[in-house]
Amino acid sequence: MQTKPNPGFFKRNAPIAGEAEAIERAKNGDPDAFAKLYALHKRRVYTLCLRMLGNVSEAEDMTQEAFLHLFRKLGSFRGESAFSTWLHRLTVNLVLMHLRKKGLQLVSLEETINPSEEDAPKRDFGSRDTMLSGSVDRVTLERAVALLPPGYRMVFVLHDVEGFEHNEIATMLECSTGNSKSQLHKARLKLRELLRESQALQPASVQSADSLAEPAAQKGITR
Amino acid sequence: MKDLASANLDNMTTAEFEEYLPELFESGGGSISKDPRFANFFKAHPDCASLVRDLETIAEQAKSLFEPSGEGSGSEPSDAVWSNIASKLKEEPPTTKEN
Repeated sequence: MQTKPNPGFFKRNAPIAGEAEAIERAKNGDPDAFAKLYALHKRRVYTLCLRMLGNVSEAEDMTQEAFLHLFRKLGSFRGESAFSTWLHRLTVNLVLMHLRKKGLQLVSLEETINPSEEDAPKRDFGSRDTMLSGSVDRVTLERAVALLPPGYRMVFVLHDVEGFEHNEIATMLECSTGNSKSQLHKARLKLRELLRESQALQPASVQSADSLAEPAAQKGITR
Repeated sequence: MKDLASANLDNMTTAEFEEYLPELFESGGGSISKDPRFANFFKAHPDCASLVRDLETIAEQAKSLFEPSGEGSGSEPSDAVWSNIASKLKEEPPTTKEN
């Protein structure tokens, strides 16, 4: 599988003002500089953990672990990729290790290869008048992502949100690149299904994130 | 993954076209709906055109999730997380540069 550059990813990982200096100072043991790195990246790291784990308590624990790991490994950061890219990769690997320790099938993608009938996307192509285009807001999408089966969610978050390439995801999740692509497609199909269901529940004038709120609360994002 | 290079679009159904979508999205940079190679196919299969545009919308909107949502308690870890980190850092030796 050939790796191609992902311009959007690099755009999203632009250097942050003061970050480079903080990294160098933190490498030399400056606690204030490390505190600054935490302040700059805590929300992104926590959000990533929360999306992958679906549980606030575990997400906080893994955020803590990620920054402790960062403290120990910071000396090995060479600047060959954006710091945030490096930190996110470190975080993803820690979360995956955590999930493997818990013995969840999620990491093997077993459940996404053979999802339950209820969880798999339906073969429904829809029609022009139910098209989503231009009507998916951030909050609605976030709630729909939380409703995805964990394996679908993992690949979707890593590829479409975090910007990892399929070959990187395949390495992290120990699956083939074809499997990663296939699972991503199924995740998007499932999201389309969830978003269309939410739109169908609402009159056009009030279509909003509220329509996904109840199913999200019922099904929950905590495992 | 299926490769569309050797496929005949004239006789293809929407379901058959969908089998190529994972690879098309990967190679097409997310703009399949505007690809002139598929203009006639989408014209003849509006349901497929709708599907592709929806999936493109989802993929595009997903990028907006990269940045955490606005300030608020739900979008960042509690203060206890930093307290724990700071406490543990005091117990650890300073980082050493690796080469």
